[in-house]
Amino acid sequence: MTVEVRALTFTYGTFTLRVPEQGFAEARITAIVGPNGAGKSTLLKCLASVLPAPRGAVRVGGRDLHGLPGKDRARLVGYVPQEPSFTFNYEVLDFVLTGRGAFIPAFSSPSRRDIEMAEEALRFVGLDGFARRPFLELSSGERRLVLIARTLAQQPAVLLLDEPTTFLDPRHEVEMLDLLKRLAREKDKTVIVTLHNLDMAVKYADDMVFMKDGAVVASGRPQEVVSPPLLKTVYEIDMDIVRTNGRLIIVR
Amino acid sequence: MTGSRTKGLLPLYALAVALPFVLLIVSLHIGAFPVPLKAVWATVRDAVVPGGPGAAAGPYADILFRIRLPRLLLALFAGAALAVSGASLQAIFKNPLVFEFSLGISYGAAFGAALSLVFLGRSFPAQISAFLFAIVAVLLVLLIAGKASSQIISILLSGIIVSALFQALLSMVEFFANPYALQALIFWLMGSLAHATWSDLSLTMPVIGLGVLVLVLLRWRMNVLSLGEDEARSVGLNVKREKILIVVVATLTTAAVTSVTGVINWIGLIIPHLVRMMVGADNRKVIPLSASFGACLLLVADDIARSAASFEIPIGILTSVVGIPFFIILLKRSGKVWL
Repeated sequence: MTVEVRALTFTYGTFTLRVPEQGFAEARITAIVGPNGAGKSTLLKCLASVLPAPRGAVRVGGRDLHGLPGKDRARLVGYVPQEPSFTFNYEVLDFVLTGRGAFIPAFSSPSRRDIEMAEEALRFVGLDGFARRPFLELSSGERRLVLIARTLAQQPAVLLLDEPTTFLDPRHEVEMLDLLKRLAREKDKTVIVTLHNLDMAVKYADDMVFMKDGAVVASGRPQEVVSPPLLKTVYEIDMDIVRTNGRLIIVR
Repeated sequence: MTGSRTKGLLPLYALAVALPFVLLIVSLHIGAFPVPLKAVWATVRDAVVPGGPGAAAGPYADILFRIRLPRLLLALFAGAALAVSGASLQAIFKNPLVFEFSLGISYGAAFGAALSLVFLGRSFPAQISAFLFAIVAVLLVLLIAGKASSQIISILLSGIIVSALFQALLSMVEFFANPYALQALIFWLMGSLAHATWSDLSLTMPVIGLGVLVLVLLRWRMNVLSLGEDEARSVGLNVKREKILIVVVATLTTAAVTSVTGVINWIGLIIPHLVRMMVGADNRKVIPLSASFGACLLLVADDIARSAASFEIPIGILTSVVGIPFFIILLKRSGKVWL
């Protein structure tokens, strides 16, 4: 499903996010990049309806998220935070099952079917056999994968991921981005992800959105949109771009 | 894997179901007037089997059913309610140290009871006022925490402030109380199940029972609500509404208990921790098991209170004196994984 943003405004203290118009395409990875404090995470949370009632509209597959019942919203967008904020040391499967929350009535418990969906999600991210491991015993890379599995168990059309590769070593970083690629290609998910690593964003993203000071500065395919002047505008340092074998490499 | 895990817990579940009943029979036997276990069993059997030999009219029936049973049932219900409320509040406030005490419920209820005992006299049931002020205390906590009430720290701070306020008001009432009222008040504050009568129970038991039932039914939901606010919302829940429901039910239940038993602390903290150490954090297991073991703990504590000395030890003192060191040992021994 495509995501469309119209006249979105969100103010938090002195910071204002303003996105007059922005689209995100289906079955593709869109990387949102920009310096710290540019509003990447805020935009992501607005897309996820996690932040309370921003002004403007976020439409997914043509439906405005605002005012949708939780269950319908959960089918459209799933949000993967950078780190889980939790107190209790749940087993991995129990944690992933919480992704089914909107579909299970308050007074009832997950069904066999819910458990199967959670197990399937764990398999997809490569964590079969982890179901009964306590969450706190996992490495930070594995924890990120569990977070993604939980959102997969929710089965939304759009996945919103907040810096899923931060603090990961190069191997796990690549594996994470390969996983996102599979989600877009094999499951037709609309994947929207904030990234700090420009090289990886350029390599993996189908589309890029550059943000600065709460606004979108530029967006489009990496090959077409990335340029030294744009990088200078966004990051305020000089960067060069090398093109080899059809690949873009950013040199600082 | 799921299967083998559940199978491993079967003995524990069986114990959780059977233990309260076994302890209830044993506890009927304990008391100032010794009733042999055999006679307890015969009397209970006669009462349960309709039209049995001399249905419930044995020589011990009066002691067992009129005096001991209401008290023991109150212990079971109150223990279950305190433990389940504690576990629920811990889950939704994402803090293993939250219990009725930290939400101001205990001192709110204590002040309410004090006010009633001192100004309305002993003939007026102190429960009503205790109940009302427990609710007032929680409302105050939520009001002070205001918009930030989703943040644990602001809830805890508000809880401390409100507890301090009611502690001060309580001291003031004590200061103005006459010696007789003061004595009654002090005993109430120490906590006791001694005054349980069937008429008390008929008022409070339905509230307590219903509260425990609702919380037990919401047990899996608490797993979802114990995630971060953002996460729970992104999963598609109406976080605020569901959290308020659980806070209200847990408060009503605890207030109903406190209004009959006086202040009994620590059950709501110790039992959920113990259970989590045994079975992990999943509230599908933690909540029902807390109900059973909370009931058993308070029943045993009351047995000790009734029989350990020639006089009756106030049970609130007992749970604190035993509970606090026990808790410290648990924390020390279990190392890092104590959630």
